Amino acid sequence: MKIDTLITKTKSRLTPATEILKVLLNESLAGYLAGRPKPRDAAVFIKYWALTWIAILKFIVGQALFKLGPLGLIRALIKNPWIFTLLRVNGLMRRLVRGRTGVFHDSICLTVHTVAVGVIDQLRNMLFDPERMVINEDLVPSDIVRAMGLNCYLLEAMGIVLPILTPEGTLKYIDEAENAGMNPDSCSLPKATVGMVIKGHMPKGVAMVSSNLPCDAGAASYAFIQRTYGIPTYRLDAPYHFHNERAEKLFAKDLMGMITWLEQHTPGHMDWDRFREICANRNAMLEMETELWDMIRTRPAPLTAETVWLSHLWHFNVTPGHPDSVRHYERLLALARRNIKNGTPATPNERYRAVLWNPPFLHFVDIFNWAERTYGVTLINDSMTYNHHGPIDTTSPETMLRDYGRTVMQGPMVRHTRGPAENYLDDIFRMVKQFDLDMVWVANHVGCKGGQAMNGILREKCRDKGIPLLILDYDLSDPRIVSHDNMVRQLEHFMDNVMKAPRLDQ
Amino acid sequence: MTKPSKIMKIFEELLESPQNELVEKAASAGRIPIGYSCSFVPEALLMADKLFPVRLRAPGVAGTEIADNYLSSFVCSYARSILEFALDERYDQIRGWVFVPSCAHMQRLFDNFEYLKHPAFNHILDVPRKVNADTLAWMAEELKNLSDKLAQAFGVDMSEASLNKAMAEWNAFAAAVRTIGEQRKRPNPPITGTEFHQMVMAALSSPKDLIMPLIKDFEQELEQRDGIQKYRARLMLVGGHLHDPEFIKVIESQGGLVVADRFCTGTIPGFRPIDLSHGDPYQTLAEYSFKKTLCPRMMEDFDRRLATIIDIVKEYQVDGVVIEIIKFCDLWGVDSMPLVTALRDKGIPVLKLEREYRLGGEGQLRTRVQAFIESMGK
Repeated sequence: MKIDTLITKTKSRLTPATEILKVLLNESLAGYLAGRPKPRDAAVFIKYWALTWIAILKFIVGQALFKLGPLGLIRALIKNPWIFTLLRVNGLMRRLVRGRTGVFHDSICLTVHTVAVGVIDQLRNMLFDPERMVINEDLVPSDIVRAMGLNCYLLEAMGIVLPILTPEGTLKYIDEAENAGMNPDSCSLPKATVGMVIKGHMPKGVAMVSSNLPCDAGAASYAFIQRTYGIPTYRLDAPYHFHNERAEKLFAKDLMGMITWLEQHTPGHMDWDRFREICANRNAMLEMETELWDMIRTRPAPLTAETVWLSHLWHFNVTPGHPDSVRHYERLLALARRNIKNGTPATPNERYRAVLWNPPFLHFVDIFNWAERTYGVTLINDSMTYNHHGPIDTTSPETMLRDYGRTVMQGPMVRHTRGPAENYLDDIFRMVKQFDLDMVWVANHVGCKGGQAMNGILREKCRDKGIPLLILDYDLSDPRIVSHDNMVRQLEHFMDNVMKAPRLDQ
Repeated sequence: MTKPSKIMKIFEELLESPQNELVEKAASAGRIPIGYSCSFVPEALLMADKLFPVRLRAPGVAGTEIADNYLSSFVCSYARSILEFALDERYDQIRGWVFVPSCAHMQRLFDNFEYLKHPAFNHILDVPRKVNADTLAWMAEELKNLSDKLAQAFGVDMSEASLNKAMAEWNAFAAAVRTIGEQRKRPNPPITGTEFHQMVMAALSSPKDLIMPLIKDFEQELEQRDGIQKYRARLMLVGGHLHDPEFIKVIESQGGLVVADRFCTGTIPGFRPIDLSHGDPYQTLAEYSFKKTLCPRMMEDFDRRLATIIDIVKEYQVDGVVIEIIKFCDLWGVDSMPLVTALRDKGIPVLKLEREYRLGGEGQLRTRVQAFIESMGK
């Protein structure tokens, strides 16, 4: 009995150590090299690994230490302990490149690196220039705020980034919000955001812009955030029926109202030339993204998965129109063109092409990689990327506001959560055709009531059209609701029973 | 509890079915019942000419198995219950439907209803989520669009004169209900919260002209009554949809007399009169719709909601506030977090209850109310 107890105790003590070792092997450079990658891939990986560390160290040593002083930096880190989680960014790159090689491998390294640099930029705004910082809700793009010479901090950004870096990234914040009385069944992203606000782990800014998007919990949480922060707040209101001139006019007026309001409540002033420049850059990004989509229609696709969705998620939502984002899309295009020219697919085993509907599995982004290696499923596009943006006419402030308003309303999650069911369903079936897809995956986030309530219709429509549909239950940011093992099992059952797909290793 | 009077019995009976005998009577006389699901739909608009509004309810709903297949079990049970009843053909008299994308649940109820039932007249009223001159004009246009569609579909008179007449009738009806409601301010009100809610729900489910004589009779009956002496605390109910008076009955069985209601189907501030001094009826109704609702979907209304609750607490001498939220309602679920704190900061005791659309877990409800009243030292 005593020996049993001793063994159990020893095992339990060893478990954290083995877990740490496992994480190190999974996420470290040593772990990557131990997997004996191709020398060319290894060289690219090490390049981006080093570039990201250089950017981090440059920020900490070269800027933060200098601007905040040693004590100020320590204070900032104590106040925002989640900053340490960001150091795992190279671990994310390691996880995402598993099994991937060549240009596709490079594009993922590039994408993760640009996101890391973008996050550092957010930290810079947050720590160095709080008196010019405006808090934006995640579906209120930052273009206008930046054109006004202000800094922008997307309040939900870390609620998205942290679970991507580590599945447990926002759990304590989710718990904090629930303990404070927020309904546990609401979306875990606003819960994480509210939790961070309660704990004081969020910057405050001088003003805040929120909206009625994308969901009830997100919009309603701003009543709490406003009361906690006590800063002036403007709320954009996108109409339900947005496909008409009347709605466009109303929303453009609302945007103009926001500009006037920001001029009254912040040190910012609208610079229309700067806005024109941002819009022009946005147009360039859109053109390149459209070209990329055209290329990934090819079977097999030249680039897929994170290159497509993570790029859009960050660059179109956080830094649209930023020169770095334009450059990122230029480089992605060059990589995709190279693969097309050489007839090289992103992955040599592309057997099935899938779309992911609803936000990606934040705490388990590796699942795409796993499905790719196990069944040859490639994620071609997703609902957070797929949009109906049109180019912004930069002729005058009026045309820019009108078209910018259209861009917001036609964006992912906005057009899918407003208007009749067709907005949601037609895009899925349009994508199936446009990208020659073999299946539709629905990321069935338990907190997303609007999405849950569409599954019945979608199931019947997919059955009618003969499109295999996987409704994968999970929670956006909380792996305690549905575990990774469970998610993998759901996927396995679907691939084995519905698709009758043999595993690649069989 | 005293034995229900004859009129109360009639109100109770009117609540037993989603389309009561008054609806059937009016429909068989050639009038047109229009079902609606949200307080942002101004009833007065649906009272023009031969039209009459019927608040969509699902009394006695036993389960929502079919609706769950479409809406999922994570959607509010009110939306699921309405869809279940619709699929069960329980609304066969209703000839037109008006929804509001008040929340994701209602929006998807409209979508699924449209997909499954293909009703001949199904409209969604795009109500903005904040109020200013632009959104008021938008709302007025939305009401005009609805009005034009109704006129075209049913051949009803939706002229300015017809709408003004309907608004005046609504005001008379609301005034009668308010007169009774005001009596709840008295230290010993002659009416329980259960009775009041029975009357209000019966009124929302019936043609107003047919129920008005009953309301008038009830008002007279109350004049003969003695005030209620035996209660432990005066409570106010706050929340979203509450249709079943039995929920209030359970609360009152523990000595908590419900004297004020700030929920979707309540009268504060839902039954305030329409200001008829404006010229344009649509502008009037648009302004009225925003003023009479205090829903957390309105993004800039938190302070007004809080202030209204605090004022009512004073006016009705309320001892404690009970916030009732239908499970999975994100709007009330999230909003109640700052609301509870703000009310407690003002020294107002608060009990937050999560519930389903249909009454269930009475034992637990009783225990929680009892504990709440005791915690107030009553």
